[in-house]
Amino acid sequence: MILDVRQLKKIYTTRFGGNQVEALRNVNFSVDEGEFVAIMGESGSGKTTLLNILAAIDQPTSGTVTLNGKSLSNLKEKDIAAFRRDNLGFVFQEFNLLDTFSLEDNIFLPLVLSGMSYEEMHKLLTPLAERLGISELLSKYPYEVSGGQKQRAAAARALITNPKLLLADEPTGALDSKSSDELLRLFGEVNAQGQTILMVTHSVKAASVAKRVLFIRDGEVFHQIYRGEDTDQQFYQRISDTLTILATGGDAK
Amino acid sequence: MKTAFFPKLAWAGIRKNSKFYLPYLCTCIGMVMMFCIMQGLSSSPQLANMKGGGNIALMLSLGRYVILIFSLIFLFYTNSFLIRRRYKEFGLYNILGLDKRGISKIIVWESLFVAGISLSIGILLGVLLQKLAELALVNIVRGQISYDIPFSADSILYTVLAFGGIFLLLFIKTVFQIRKSNPLRLMQSEKAGEKPPKANWFMALLGVLILAAAYFIAVSIESPLAALLLFFAAVILVIAATYLLFMAGSVALCKILQKKKRYYYKKNHFVSVSSMLYRMKRNGAGLASICILSTMVLVTFSSSACLYLGKENSLDSLYQNEISTTIYLNKMDHPENFDTEQYKKAFADFFASHNVTPKETFIETKASTFGIIKNDKVMMNPEGNDYTSLELNDLRAFYFLTADEYERKTGQAVTLADNQVLLYTKDVDYPNDTISFDNLTLRIIGRLSKMPDMNFGDSPLEKKFIFIISSMDTLAPILELRDSYDDPLVTYGWYYGVDLGLESEQEIELFEEFWPMIGRVNRAEGSFGYSASSKAEQANDFYTTFGGLFFIGILLCIVFIFAAAMIIYYKQVSEGYEDQDRFEIMQKVGMTQEDIKKSINSQVLTVFFAPLLFAGLHLAFAFPMVWRILQLFNFTNLKLMILITIAAFLIFAVFYSIIYKLTARAYYHIVAPKN
Repeated sequence: MILDVRQLKKIYTTRFGGNQVEALRNVNFSVDEGEFVAIMGESGSGKTTLLNILAAIDQPTSGTVTLNGKSLSNLKEKDIAAFRRDNLGFVFQEFNLLDTFSLEDNIFLPLVLSGMSYEEMHKLLTPLAERLGISELLSKYPYEVSGGQKQRAAAARALITNPKLLLADEPTGALDSKSSDELLRLFGEVNAQGQTILMVTHSVKAASVAKRVLFIRDGEVFHQIYRGEDTDQQFYQRISDTLTILATGGDAK
Repeated sequence: MKTAFFPKLAWAGIRKNSKFYLPYLCTCIGMVMMFCIMQGLSSSPQLANMKGGGNIALMLSLGRYVILIFSLIFLFYTNSFLIRRRYKEFGLYNILGLDKRGISKIIVWESLFVAGISLSIGILLGVLLQKLAELALVNIVRGQISYDIPFSADSILYTVLAFGGIFLLLFIKTVFQIRKSNPLRLMQSEKAGEKPPKANWFMALLGVLILAAAYFIAVSIESPLAALLLFFAAVILVIAATYLLFMAGSVALCKILQKKKRYYYKKNHFVSVSSMLYRMKRNGAGLASICILSTMVLVTFSSSACLYLGKENSLDSLYQNEISTTIYLNKMDHPENFDTEQYKKAFADFFASHNVTPKETFIETKASTFGIIKNDKVMMNPEGNDYTSLELNDLRAFYFLTADEYERKTGQAVTLADNQVLLYTKDVDYPNDTISFDNLTLRIIGRLSKMPDMNFGDSPLEKKFIFIISSMDTLAPILELRDSYDDPLVTYGWYYGVDLGLESEQEIELFEEFWPMIGRVNRAEGSFGYSASSKAEQANDFYTTFGGLFFIGILLCIVFIFAAAMIIYYKQVSEGYEDQDRFEIMQKVGMTQEDIKKSINSQVLTVFFAPLLFAGLHLAFAFPMVWRILQLFNFTNLKLMILITIAAFLIFAVFYSIIYKLTARAYYHIVAPKN
């Protein structure tokens, strides 16, 4: 088990006191090594809050997150960044590439932060870039390449540290369908090679590439389905059906 | 709805953006106030009544133009910054259905509000502070203090006209800026992707070369006159070099650092160097402006302070006696009739009739000239009297004292044959044994180790030759040489100086009668030239001239510091918004808040202290040149100048740091990782 989430609760207090908003009520789930899990839910269901807590960017009100045997709540702020660097890789909807860096430098950023030498970094990058099909683009700047290419560079940045867990937040949200397909195929490939992936999305298409889908509603894990022996197509249908039931108020548990 | 709609929208726009508008309004108010004060002072009746007040009024009205031109440039700069920040808002209005005419109407109202507020508050403050400024001025130039409140409708009218014009120009510029744009571009303009800056190696190199040239000129010039002539050229070179270096040089430097992979791919350098690249490209011009403004502040302040504070010193070296006169013997039609005794007697009678006892009388005969020395020949009049600045560098002063005079001064008897001389050189080597002036050749038979104590302060040339000659007859071959204006090339005269120990008022009154008296005594001798001066009168001149300069120096410094502060503030704020997203990403990728803070700190420090550092460097290299120029005003106190310059730099650095601290807070507030 690589990630274990127990009784996670997050309450926001609005800025001027007063109202409290419960973003996560009681979230429990775990992810095993080599899994590809998608978390689905509508806007406002608490997906992003969950991801932020998993990334140690946000602290839960109560509950525990154990990543690779370490409880995140016990980490000091100084160690969190290093921990994040060593164990987590991120892919965001908005790519979050720094426009002051070339793609190559963007990919190197986490390695530079952990103090790796240029030669070592270069050795890591060459095969990875090859695999992601961005070898020709490395010297380009973010503004010069397409959205799909940006997202592949962002994926390279997430993967180059060899993270225990790859966190993806709506990775196809800003891509056209062709680029989406390419990226999802890529996620499937890295997963097949053993990379654990946790992806937050509300695209059925994206979720249908995963091996397991968790559904979140009103701050709780409401339901989950496994792919089993389904093809992408069949799994897509099942996710879609589940969502319909969820939306029309069915009670699956 | 129609009538109040646009004013309301405009006022709301100003209020919502008060973070940007407040400093802008303060700048406008400050500029209006300064202009109003200078305008008011330059036409103040009190100034007109003051001795030497005309001089100061002239300087003030020139200073007024400096402020006006500066305001124009500076307000254009800050205004375009403001408008850029508001593109999004205007774009939204446009999409919501307000056409460009409508937006222009909003801008009309905004301009009216800004102009109204700045003019009314600025003029009010100007009128209130004018008295204070006047008191400061009067105190500095030691004039009489009056206690009436100055109020001049004219100066208010001029201020309104001048700044009304500037605001009109700003308005026209803004409308054009908006007219040219389209709504989508207005919405996106803040986020437009930016190309990575390319290093312009040629410009960077040019910057280095020009700066080197300017610095070389500054340190290699030895003659004060040449320094004065070349100062302007050096200033232009330094300005050009500063812009090139900050705009192209900094980018090139970052590129070089980026190419050094071992250096670049280090935690501490990686983010800083790459961000600096963009930062310098965007801010190079602004930073160069700050640097130049700072240098101007420092040079203006330190030189005017030197002149003002060192005036006693200059006076002493320029005027060794309280009242003095020199009678130029080779300008007389009949020098053979010249009778020293007749003068001495007339002077003694004059002082006796005024019931004053002349404490010391000081008489000597001396001759002097200047020229360019080549090998062992002195060219006294190369190509008329026009010297190129290079030749000015080689200009030397030559003084001739008779052996009798020397003996009288030092008690040492010397015997010299015709054309034999003793030589003392100040600040220059002369290895030859002979020296020729035109058709006169002098043989140097001995060297003096100590400068004869006498009044040599009247030439701004530092490098001096002092000759002891057997008698003035020795100089006969060159005494009659004339230049193209029929003036003698050699000044040959009889010097008379006297100390009376009077109050300066009395001394000036006495002097008013003294100098026409010399004319009367001498009329019998035919036409002749003479000069006379009173130290007290000169002192008054010094006070008004240098005091006025000092005062205006201070006023301009306030304006420049104010402007530098504004530029820094706007830089910080706009940088903050640009960096905000970037630092959020970095945090997500695994930078600790501490790392981020450290990186921000080092970048911000570099960006904002680079101009100060360069200003210091410019000041250091300007120092020798300013020193030479100040010598023209007979300022000779090197120690005082070093002290003042260092003090000026330190005071400025403190101001600058305070401004930085205040504005850095605004910056951190924007970029601080939210948690």
